[in-house]
Amino acid sequence: MKRLIILFLLICSNSISAEVNIFSARHYDSDLNLYKKFTKQTGIKVNVVSGNDKALQKRIIEEDKDCVGDVYITSDAGRLGAFESKGMLQHANWSDEIEKKVPIIFRSNAWVGIAKRARIIFYSPERVNQSELQNLNYESLSEPNWKGRIVIRKSDNIYNQSLVSSLIENNGKDETLKWAKSLVSNMARSPKGNDRAQILAVAAGEADLAIANTYYYALMLSGQKGEEQKIAAKKVLPFFPNQNNRGTHMNISGAGLLKFSPNKSNAIKLIEFLLSEEAQKHIVNNTYEYSILENISPNELVPGKNLDFKQDNETDVKLYWDNQSEALKIMLLAGWK
Amino acid sequence: MRINTWFLSSFLISLLVAIPIFTVFSSFFENTSGTFEIFRNTFLYEYIYNSIILLCGVLIFTLLIGTVCAYLVSFYTFPGVNFFKWALILSFAVPAYIYAYSLTAFFENYGTLYSILKNIFGDGNYNQSIPKFDGILGAIISISFSLFGYVYVLTRASFHYQSENLLEIGRNLGFSKKHTLFSIILPSARPAIIAGLSLVAMETLSDFGAVSFFGISTLTTGIYNSWISLDDLAFANQLSFFLLVFILGLFFLENLARKRAKYHTPSRGGFKKKEKLHLTGLKGNLAFLVCFFVFFFSFVFPVSQMLYWTLKFPENLANLNINKLFINTLYLIFLTSLVLLLFSFISNYGNRISRSKLLNSFSTFSITGYAIPGIILAVAFITFISWLDSIILNHFNFGGIKKIFVGSILGLVVVYFIRFYSLAFNGIKTGYEKINRSIDESSYLLGYSKLKTFFEIHLPYLKNSIFLIGILITIEVIKELPITLILRPFNFETFATTAYIFASQDLLEAAAAPALFLILIASAFILITSRYILRD
Repeated sequence: MKRLIILFLLICSNSISAEVNIFSARHYDSDLNLYKKFTKQTGIKVNVVSGNDKALQKRIIEEDKDCVGDVYITSDAGRLGAFESKGMLQHANWSDEIEKKVPIIFRSNAWVGIAKRARIIFYSPERVNQSELQNLNYESLSEPNWKGRIVIRKSDNIYNQSLVSSLIENNGKDETLKWAKSLVSNMARSPKGNDRAQILAVAAGEADLAIANTYYYALMLSGQKGEEQKIAAKKVLPFFPNQNNRGTHMNISGAGLLKFSPNKSNAIKLIEFLLSEEAQKHIVNNTYEYSILENISPNELVPGKNLDFKQDNETDVKLYWDNQSEALKIMLLAGWK
Repeated sequence: MRINTWFLSSFLISLLVAIPIFTVFSSFFENTSGTFEIFRNTFLYEYIYNSIILLCGVLIFTLLIGTVCAYLVSFYTFPGVNFFKWALILSFAVPAYIYAYSLTAFFENYGTLYSILKNIFGDGNYNQSIPKFDGILGAIISISFSLFGYVYVLTRASFHYQSENLLEIGRNLGFSKKHTLFSIILPSARPAIIAGLSLVAMETLSDFGAVSFFGISTLTTGIYNSWISLDDLAFANQLSFFLLVFILGLFFLENLARKRAKYHTPSRGGFKKKEKLHLTGLKGNLAFLVCFFVFFFSFVFPVSQMLYWTLKFPENLANLNINKLFINTLYLIFLTSLVLLLFSFISNYGNRISRSKLLNSFSTFSITGYAIPGIILAVAFITFISWLDSIILNHFNFGGIKKIFVGSILGLVVVYFIRFYSLAFNGIKTGYEKINRSIDESSYLLGYSKLKTFFEIHLPYLKNSIFLIGILITIEVIKELPITLILRPFNFETFATTAYIFASQDLLEAAAAPALFLILIASAFILITSRYILRD
């Protein structure tokens, strides 16, 4: 009985106040502070459930019309694309301002990038000489001089799947399969650990070169991982590949509008807020990603803080989903664990 | 008529608990994507291989440390024996996934061990010489240290009830101590050891947190991935079949062990208390060291790692809303224990007075839900509710039960109920088995109704069982992660979900504070129960 009363009160309280419900697979603590700012500005209450990307998607799909979620937030365009392809996001009719702010390659009709990250190379300056770095591309990692020198995480990782998707787009399936096979034979160890573990492996001398996302490096330099890791990070240097051609592989964190969003206008307000200068500054200084806006500079600790590297602004991030299953197939065929 | 009501209600409870088992299998016959068909055999081989390696590793390790510790504290006195007797069960407070965080943090490149070495010996490249406990080895160690308690507790109880008479036989036959151990003590404790090991095995097979943290593909993670990521339901079904074969095998073994255990329990009259042998000198120190080693690695090590981080990064503790997490956790514990105890009573009492073989077998079948990994259980529950919702909507033009069950405390409690039902059901059942049926009959003869018999005779008898089960549920709910993660309402966190969320954004340092609280609260509850678990 008591539970029924509580439930009743809960339903009542939900229907009265202005609010927006977020399902987030990008569960930064700092995001919660950002939502508080939004509530302060607009009076709209933000409710959050965070969790594992696939499990949240499954819950939303099964809840179907009864899902009270308005906004879905996750990292990686490959994940957003997967969710859109299941028909769980709706066309949002982005305002002109959003369309002006966010380049077309970083948004779809249903979701929009709220931050950027690059997947780059980290090398040991002691063991990798400058001539090896000259004109280094992702494609060059298959060359025999890297035998036993590269570390990268597993093939089930979405960042790797998106990277390989972009290679398929630019070089074709056959070339990418050849590349993946050679890359696997160049690995210093069987893939394990997260991106930060790859950078640490280079610092510790287990490998000469790691592939990892930019913000992990900044996280280590920030001291949030302790003094040792700060020192370790300094033993490793970032390198932006493909500078003489299409540019470095970019990816996004993004927000999508859920199909049955009951508070659609509040949801749009929230997404617009996330793209405001205030919110973008908060994001770059807390998660160490790049801003989706051109005029916001990255945090001091992030590689490429001056934005003086060439970003791949040609490959549409929407393709990361289109090529995803092909990418995974290629990686598995190549024996990428 | 009344018997029918009881029968019906216990039947319904068993049916509810059995739902996920049916759902898991029926939903896998739906359409399937099959994108990765060509890899299925490779995957299948890998999942089974990894599951077997993991299982064997954990079983060998828990058998070794569980029985050795139980043997030492049961047959000998040595420095610290009274402390270790209960301290060893504190390992129950450390979930395998938190153990995994500690293990990784301590041994990783530039991890805690590196810092320690650097502080003692100065700068140097220690990373190369620090052993790396990751991958399957890491998972085996993490799971073993968090589960060996089952083997320890059950084996110790069995040793405890071994009568001195039994040992005297050995002595009369002129057996050496070693001979007595291997020909008398261990064989007569074998049912208990097997029961402990089969619990360990089931928990190992259903582990998700530690295994996915180390990136190992087992049957459980395989089912999860092929169901949720790849939409390959046919393959998920195939994998579930293999998992079920494993689990049924274990159930069979455990049941066999339980049955045999009865033959080995001496009747009360013939029980003669053992004289414990006093170990001094080198042997005493050795026994101390063994127990200390196990206690240290199962409890002190993970707690120290978490404590170290909490102290090193105090801002993480300051940012934690401990009160709210504590209240949320308590709320879940209270509701879950209440519901579980209530329904296990109804079901057990129904079984007892209806004496139906069919009902009994069905109850036994339904509790196999316990062996379904929590994460799969949660997804099966959502699938089931959405199916039910569409049925109700189609036929009665009334839907919306999804809102009530998914993303609500109610739904969370229902799934906890299914997950932990066997714990409560078996606990009450064991308690009931000690109440002679003739007591019931006397009560009826005295004109007590069935309900009155229950409240005035059974309840007082079962007070201790209720208390013990309540606390065991509490410990499980505090540690529970995958179900809570998927089904919880908006803005609702527990210590476990908070720790997981930090860990999954690569901030193990910030995960330390909630993990530490989780361990400490669970430890407190374990200490309260220790006198029941280790009853002398």
